[in-house]
Amino acid sequence: MPESKENKEIVKLPWMGIPRLLPYLKPYRYRMMIMIFLGAMVSLVDSIVPLFNRYAINNYVVKGTLEGISRFALLYALVLVVKLCMDFTSAYMCGQIEMSVDRDLRNAAFNHLQELSFSYFNQNNVGYIHARVMSDTGKIGMLVAWRMMDIIWNGSYILFVLIVMLSINVRLALYILALVPIAVVLVIYFQKHLIVLNRHIRELNSTITSNFNEGITGAKAIKTLVVEKKIQDDFTRDTESYRKNAVHATHYSALFTASVTMLSSCALALALWRGGKITMEGVMEIGTLSVFLSYALGILEPIQNIIVTISDLIAVQVNVERLTRLLNTESDVADSKEVIEKYGDTFNPKKENWEELYGDVEFKDVSFHYPDGTEYVLENFDLKVPQGTNVAIVGETGAGKSTLVNLVCRFFEPTKGQVLIDGRDARERSQLWLHSNIGYVLQTPHLFSGSVRENLKYGNPDATDEEIWNALKLVSAEEIVKRMDKGLDSDVGEGGDMLSTGEKQLLSFARAILADPKILVLDEATSSIDTVTEKAIQDAISVVIKGRTSFMIAHRLSTVVDADVILVVKDGKIIERGKHKELMKNKQGYYYSLFSRQYEEMSIKAIG
Amino acid sequence: MNNKNKFPTRSGLVFFFLKGSIGLFASGIVFSMLVAFLDMVNPKIIQYTVDYLIGDSESTMPFYMQLLIGISGGKAYLKTHLFVIACIVITIAIVCGICRYLNKVLNSMAAEKLIKRMRDILFDHISHLPFAWHGENHTGDIIQRCTSDVETIKVFLSEQLTSLFRIVIMITFGLIFMFQIHVKLALISLAFIPVLVLYSLFFHNRIGNAFREADEEEGRLSAIAQENLTGVRVVRAFGRETYERHRFEKKNDAYTKLWIKLMMLLSAFWTSNDLIAGVQCMVVLVMGCVFAVRGEITVGEMIAFYSYNAMVSWPVRMLGRVISEMSKAGVSVDRLREIMNAEIETDREGATEPSLDKDIEFNNVSFSYDNGSSEILKNVSFKVKAGETIGVLGGTGSGKSTLMYLLDRLYELPEDQGTISIGGVDIRNIKMHYLRRNIGLVLQEPFLFSRTLKENIAITRKTPELKDVTRAAKLASLDETIRNFDAGYDTFVGERGVTLSGGQKQRTAIAQMLITEPPIMIFDDSLSAVDTETDAKIRAALDKHASGATTILISHRITTLMHADHIIVLSHGELIEEGTHDELVEKGGLYRKIYDIQMQGGEERA
Repeated sequence: MPESKENKEIVKLPWMGIPRLLPYLKPYRYRMMIMIFLGAMVSLVDSIVPLFNRYAINNYVVKGTLEGISRFALLYALVLVVKLCMDFTSAYMCGQIEMSVDRDLRNAAFNHLQELSFSYFNQNNVGYIHARVMSDTGKIGMLVAWRMMDIIWNGSYILFVLIVMLSINVRLALYILALVPIAVVLVIYFQKHLIVLNRHIRELNSTITSNFNEGITGAKAIKTLVVEKKIQDDFTRDTESYRKNAVHATHYSALFTASVTMLSSCALALALWRGGKITMEGVMEIGTLSVFLSYALGILEPIQNIIVTISDLIAVQVNVERLTRLLNTESDVADSKEVIEKYGDTFNPKKENWEELYGDVEFKDVSFHYPDGTEYVLENFDLKVPQGTNVAIVGETGAGKSTLVNLVCRFFEPTKGQVLIDGRDARERSQLWLHSNIGYVLQTPHLFSGSVRENLKYGNPDATDEEIWNALKLVSAEEIVKRMDKGLDSDVGEGGDMLSTGEKQLLSFARAILADPKILVLDEATSSIDTVTEKAIQDAISVVIKGRTSFMIAHRLSTVVDADVILVVKDGKIIERGKHKELMKNKQGYYYSLFSRQYEEMSIKAIG
Repeated sequence: MNNKNKFPTRSGLVFFFLKGSIGLFASGIVFSMLVAFLDMVNPKIIQYTVDYLIGDSESTMPFYMQLLIGISGGKAYLKTHLFVIACIVITIAIVCGICRYLNKVLNSMAAEKLIKRMRDILFDHISHLPFAWHGENHTGDIIQRCTSDVETIKVFLSEQLTSLFRIVIMITFGLIFMFQIHVKLALISLAFIPVLVLYSLFFHNRIGNAFREADEEEGRLSAIAQENLTGVRVVRAFGRETYERHRFEKKNDAYTKLWIKLMMLLSAFWTSNDLIAGVQCMVVLVMGCVFAVRGEITVGEMIAFYSYNAMVSWPVRMLGRVISEMSKAGVSVDRLREIMNAEIETDREGATEPSLDKDIEFNNVSFSYDNGSSEILKNVSFKVKAGETIGVLGGTGSGKSTLMYLLDRLYELPEDQGTISIGGVDIRNIKMHYLRRNIGLVLQEPFLFSRTLKENIAITRKTPELKDVTRAAKLASLDETIRNFDAGYDTFVGERGVTLSGGQKQRTAIAQMLITEPPIMIFDDSLSAVDTETDAKIRAALDKHASGATTILISHRITTLMHADHIIVLSHGELIEEGTHDELVEKGGLYRKIYDIQMQGGEERA
């Protein structure tokens, strides 16, 4: 869970990490300046308003005259209107800056992710990355807009009030000022505890949410296993722990507010006592005393606010650090400068310079280990795959069958040696060039929310409806689409969840065919389709792979017997290779044992 | 049991949830009212100090103030010993602080008790709802109800509703004091209250709507990011980064625009609200001056009036909020009521616990998921002898999983749609939990809990015994795989741990079932993601160690089914063929056709 990782990741960044964010603030610097200026002005006006009271009491009430009161009222009203305008502008601007920075950061993070290599995605789970894009950015936007504004408003308010108080009566002001350090210590003490407690509560809360998630998505499993009681007990234990911690945290925050308001009352009492005395002595006017009282009462709140804000800033550092770390992560698989110059980058391809891909693939003395491991899964591996060759990769679940495919697709690059595409190192041309020529059907089919048409056109935006129907026919998926109420315009739901796994697989197959790729990659594509459909697909496959270079990861051996080359993988390494008939000759071989087990008994039965 | 109308009203459910916390809430409210009252007293003291002691005015004062002054040593003494007043102020502050603390803590104890009770009850209720209910409702929607609606209700009850008492107290006392000081001035100040309340109400609804819109848009944006990340392979393999970027940026823009619009609305609300409050203060000040100059009120009275006025304006604004939140909370209560009013699974009266190592009989079973729509099963009848292994072959949508769900009573077979019996007892007359405990059903799409592998396999046990766990894991060909993990059986699975492959998950689910040693075992296509070699290994292990159990194997892999004692073939909800493997091959029907397809490679080349 992203939340629990927070603890380990608390870092201290210079200046709250703001310098790292500066490039993203630059476009808004003028607006920010206006915002800061207006914020200061608003707080100036806020701190001045009580002076109107003093003026009114001293000049009208005490002197017993109403002369000029209409002018006074007018001026007061004017100040209010000016304040309204400034208030509105600064708040609106603040919101605008927040959202704009948010948006820019989200775009930057999202776009950066499009170029990161697969090792990043293997090392970080989707939930974690998703939180970087969606929630860290939001917190940072909040920081540069509202938190900034809070600090400016409260800071200048304190400053102005201090100035006014000092100008009214220095000694009295110093009495009040003496309370400020106490307030600061108090706030810091409590805040420190509260940050920790609240983080813990948030963690517990997300645990409870995932418990709900588990209880609901796992309803079928819970019912069939009859473990309702156990799951409920665990749930109750979590909610109880949440309750205890929440009450504990409230105990602190209640002590906190109670002591801060008590301190304000002390300030009030102090001002009343000392101020009353000098007023009686005739040093100060009554109106001035009342103003002073309201300042004394009002100064502690902004102090509290400012400290709470600062502690928020410290908490946001984690988010800043995590986001900048993402933005600073460099892709393991990156195109070189020269390549980008000639072929363009991911977002600005120079398609005019792209060569036609013919389809020869060659592994030349390739050694490879995954970036997060040290054990070599390929060592000095050579394999020529001429255009049109059909390569099948077989082996047990988890044996490492995807490795070759990852290398062909350049999702990873060889640690040593070369992968040649049409005789040239894959690194000599851009990733996008290669990917634009590859069709891919995944083990777990992935569709995007949107219509069937949008999904099918994913690899070929220019495909016509006719071409789409043809592709669907090829994989016998016509019926699926026809059965849906809006045909090609039907919504597939989030992640395609309106369709069954088998249906998703068929559609993702049609999608790959539509892209008309030179190289086709099939990753256990036929594992959850019933036999009749599977047969239809296999027929389609043999049509589709004709003339194309293809790599097929297959569980079912019947899929692979036609392959030109079969690679047999065990424990991450290729232990046998050859055509089906050649491999079958070695009766002690691994392939032989894999294959015969499936068919032996059956053929005996069929004969006998 | 008829609990359709268990909670016919909103308040019925709210009071049900409030059981156990209502007393705490009440005592919290008592302290909050004390706080409100004490907050009102301080300005009074200041008024009299300024007026009577410092300002020498001869205004009449209520007897309790006279009493207070009497106790503290009389006017003359106080005039020279102002610190006594300061001490009184501080004493009141201390008492007030204690009350404030108690109020907050009691309120939080109540609120947390409430939310715990709500969560526990909901969770328990949901886990006892029939599986059909789960199918009809979206997971995301239910979770949202259990989290954010619960939160909304808690916040409303513990913050808004309890503050209502304080608000009323503050407004009442404030107004009483204000009216005591000067009726006309109080009326002037009062005139602003309806304006503020109406105004807040007006804005609150619009802001609420804008928030909802922005929330929905955020959901869409978030979904795009999510899909892009989970589908990163597809995006890359098709070279569609630019498309993804445009898609995201477009939604991101739309979302940002909505928020900026919302910000505009919020800014307008905040600032104009402040303006109204500011104008009210100004009018009170100016009119106060007029009355003071006319000699109708004293300086001290005016200062006190001013502070009461400021004090009343906050609760008034809150009042508008409470009213508008009330409708929001009401909606949340209704959404929870829908869950709580759904009927839970119950056993029939006189349900028994017969021994289940008997023959299973499906007799004329027909079924459709939602009444009247296309039938998933049509008059299916067959028999499974005790201890036998039966194979079920059928295409996607042939109804083979549904058959098993009916046997496990995940879905209840309607009265007139045939019968399913075990040892002659209609399963509807068998205690549900007893039945399920004795049927080990391994699901097609296995579900693992976010716990360790050990705990997952032994999920049905109170305490996981490693010995039993490894035994089950060995049978499921999983032991070796697990031992290869760094943490072995303590490896954490699920969203916070390692991701298992489809085949590993299926094997874990099988181990999970095997540990319970049930008399009836069902494998609902549970070996589809396991390669054929492991598949064979597992079946061999089962034959050896669990041969006494009645076994139902569902698969589209002939090699998995061919050794079964009896095989039935389902197509579009109908039983079209049955017999042993040899009989079916002989017969030349659908089974033969599928067999030929799967055989093809083997026969020709092996």
